Amino acid sequence: MSAATAETPAPEALMRPAAPRGRARAKRQRTVMLLFIAPALAVYVVMVIAPSLQSVQLSLTDWDGVNPAYDYVGLRNYQDILTSDRFWNATRNTLVLGLGSAVIVNVIALAVALMLDRLHRAQGFFRTIVYLPALVSGFIAATIWKYMLNFNFGAANTVLRDLGFEGAAMDWLGDNDIVVGVLLFIICFTLGGNTTLIYLANLQSVPQELVEAAKIDGASGRQVFRYVTWPMLAGAVTVNMTLAMIAGWTIFDQVMVLTAGGPGFISETMAFFIYKVGFGEYRAGYGSAAAIVLFVVVMATTVLANRYMRSREVQG
Amino acid sequence: MSVQTRRRRERRRFTAGEAVVMAVLLVLVAAVSFPVLYALLNSFRGYAEITRDPMGLPTGLSLDNYARLFQTTEYGEALLNTVVVTGGTLVLLLALVPMAAYGIERLGGRSSRWIYLLFIAGLMIPFQVRMIPLVSSMNQVGLYSTLTGVILVHLGGAASFGVLLYCSFIKGVPREVEEAAEVDGAGRLRTFWSIVFPMLLPVTSAFVIIQALSLWNDFFIPLVFLDSSSAGTINVALQRMVGLMTSQWELIYAGAILAIIPSVVLFAAFQRYFIKGMSIGAVKG
Repeated sequence: MSAATAETPAPEALMRPAAPRGRARAKRQRTVMLLFIAPALAVYVVMVIAPSLQSVQLSLTDWDGVNPAYDYVGLRNYQDILTSDRFWNATRNTLVLGLGSAVIVNVIALAVALMLDRLHRAQGFFRTIVYLPALVSGFIAATIWKYMLNFNFGAANTVLRDLGFEGAAMDWLGDNDIVVGVLLFIICFTLGGNTTLIYLANLQSVPQELVEAAKIDGASGRQVFRYVTWPMLAGAVTVNMTLAMIAGWTIFDQVMVLTAGGPGFISETMAFFIYKVGFGEYRAGYGSAAAIVLFVVVMATTVLANRYMRSREVQG
Repeated sequence: MSVQTRRRRERRRFTAGEAVVMAVLLVLVAAVSFPVLYALLNSFRGYAEITRDPMGLPTGLSLDNYARLFQTTEYGEALLNTVVVTGGTLVLLLALVPMAAYGIERLGGRSSRWIYLLFIAGLMIPFQVRMIPLVSSMNQVGLYSTLTGVILVHLGGAASFGVLLYCSFIKGVPREVEEAAEVDGAGRLRTFWSIVFPMLLPVTSAFVIIQALSLWNDFFIPLVFLDSSSAGTINVALQRMVGLMTSQWELIYAGAILAIIPSVVLFAAFQRYFIKGMSIGAVKG
């Protein structure tokens, strides 16, 4: 390259104010930046991207997870999964627990945030104590509940018996008809934590002038919420629902601790199903196929939910 | 800022409505905290006492269960493992992610966009999708059931969120400061660590707190990657105690309470960053 071209910056370099001093310099800058990215990218590719792609490959095999040898079986694993009652039961539970808890927790969190927003005094204190329960992980909460719900010596049945409701004492985690409902209750037994904080931050950024103007125009409290506050919260609802659904699709800890999928396979979720068949039943190929199905579901719901809720934001 | 001043100006007399709200919130918090309170009270009671009268109160502040937890189970070792995994992952995340995000933002152009999207895609890949192949690769390279293996798996999982958080913040950092440092002859790496990284403190504090909590509380990854040759992390150790035929309720209650304490301490110490961090990410996102 001649000196003239080196001194005349390339057109795109002109638009980037950082690199106006020649091509060699810009090139060096790019190399350095790529070196900055490389270590994190390497770890990420080896730990996330490569194994995910390998799952796709394994999902087409009959691998048991232990033996080094396996055969390709085409799409048979997917066929087996989609015709398996056990898998559809796990999918239904995931829907009930994941989507159900996403909606319920968001309603609780929004209600708590609205209450906090009404406080003019000691708001900081109440915000802190409302957040405290969120510091207890789902795993620890479930472990404590497991003992509180014990049939013979659990707190729940003891209280019921002491109050004279002998018949209401139940085998909470061993009864086919109620076990999924009990799981849903335990997962939703929260004040929202982060979800509440996000709603509260958004409520506080609603311009007070709008609320005042609506009130002057004679809007009731409910109308102010419906026509002023709620549309302003659309963005927060999108974020919170998306986060809650992604977490909901992979509910595992509570199921593992409380029921281990039982009785039988009644309370399995998709995440638990994958864990169980992949490691417990030595069907790694089959488990991988189920994992790919889970990935497709997570991606589809995330994209669709975002598209739907963003469109609602624009109209709102 | 503007929110705060508005609130301050608006402060008026204590209303009945506010009193009701406060009462409702207190009741809700008490209800939701009940299981933890129950575990705390029972962690001071013996097994016989708990099963004889499940709703009874402790007769004294006996720390017997806590002592036995460390003497008769692997809880102590598991606690240490959890500290190593949480601390090790955090240090490595801070060493790798901010630099990578800075690189992505300053690289510019199409390749930068693709690398960013590749990282963000990880947010939609549940851990279950990569778990089966990872276990067999970890076995092959001898990292299965080691803390190093667990840390590496955590690193991959947290990288996506880190890149998202740091990139959105770095967009707002002016380039002039870095360029001035360069004119002074500082290398890019030194410029980054001595000039840019300190400017990222708000996002770093939010990232560290969020990650510290989720690493400390994680159950699934150590469950899958640590077998019985390791004491596991706290949660894994507790799960093994629950799984035993003769579960010792009183020890499990004590272990559950001990597992919560670090989170509460962290929250108490960094509460301000905590709430700010949660809100920054979400309002802009």
